[in-house]
Amino acid sequence: MESLREALRALLGPGTAFADLGATPPQPGRAFGRMLLWWLPPALLYGAFSAWNALGEYASLRAGHLPAWLGLLILPGLDSDSSVAFLRGLPAPPAAGTVALAVILLVPLSVVGIWLHDAVWDHTALWMLGALKAKRGFRATLLAESQALRIAALGSWIGLLGFIRGAGLWLALPLGLVEAYLWLFRGFALAAVHGLPAWKGVLATVLHAALLGLFTVLLLGLMVWMLGMAG
Amino acid sequence: MRRVPWIALAGGGAALGIRLLGWAAPWLPPLPACPLKALTGVPCATCGLTRCLLALGQGHLREAFHWHPAAVVALALWPFAALWDLARAWRGRPYPPLPSALGWRLLALGLLLGVWALQVARHI
Repeated sequence: MESLREALRALLGPGTAFADLGATPPQPGRAFGRMLLWWLPPALLYGAFSAWNALGEYASLRAGHLPAWLGLLILPGLDSDSSVAFLRGLPAPPAAGTVALAVILLVPLSVVGIWLHDAVWDHTALWMLGALKAKRGFRATLLAESQALRIAALGSWIGLLGFIRGAGLWLALPLGLVEAYLWLFRGFALAAVHGLPAWKGVLATVLHAALLGLFTVLLLGLMVWMLGMAG
Repeated sequence: MRRVPWIALAGGGAALGIRLLGWAAPWLPPLPACPLKALTGVPCATCGLTRCLLALGQGHLREAFHWHPAAVVALALWPFAALWDLARAWRGRPYPPLPSALGWRLLALGLLLGVWALQVARHI
């Protein structure tokens, strides 16, 4: 309970939340274990709800109920009868037990994958910003990610609200904002373990996001410009 | 061995994982599409990577190269990196720090954007 209170305090005041991390870092294995303990339950629930929704939507498709937007995308040349016949001919979904097994196996792999992915890209971003100190290497970044993602797991519980039928669309914006905040939150832990000012850690997470989306933004900008020139 | 050769171990683990992925490919459910591509129509830098790894796991090298040439080149270089890592680990030498010169950092950024441009240009 004390840990939960501490985590909530860290989320509300990230500037001081990781103050001890640089001076007295916990054992990396212990930090990793605690991250899994906090993050796996909401991640498994998220995976289970996603699979449940996907199976429901697939069953609806096989019954011939095609959402209009999907019809425009995948079956533009077919008339209504042919579309229904096509949908009824879709293969049966995997058995519920197979899906459950896949969720149980894939979710822990995804959690570890996200942890490693974030560590590699945040570390790369720190390096590109020239913010890495020689004595604190990748191990320090892995530790920071474990600490930050453990606390950010609280956000995964909030994200489950998106599965409430009818409310998901209304909650998309606030949940997106929470997600964005939790993305930047990692930067405070990174700054603490690498002995940097907080803004540099946060900037590394921003650069990480920019590397994911920058090229797309540039390309879309170019397309808009070309359309403007043509018009 | 006076330290853990993480690069060699990770590469070996990845190679084993890729082989297992190739073996399990017929039973895998359809993989989710890239969210960035689904939203914008523009592939991300790692678009094609899963299909590349699946092809590689099944021994289809040419197909793998089509889906993500940079990943195949990186994997082909891995044995050299593993040997370098093992030799250093044997002598107990730690990993050297990443080069801090601006030129290296800009080169890495250029390579990342170059890989991305390649995938976008080929509509992967």
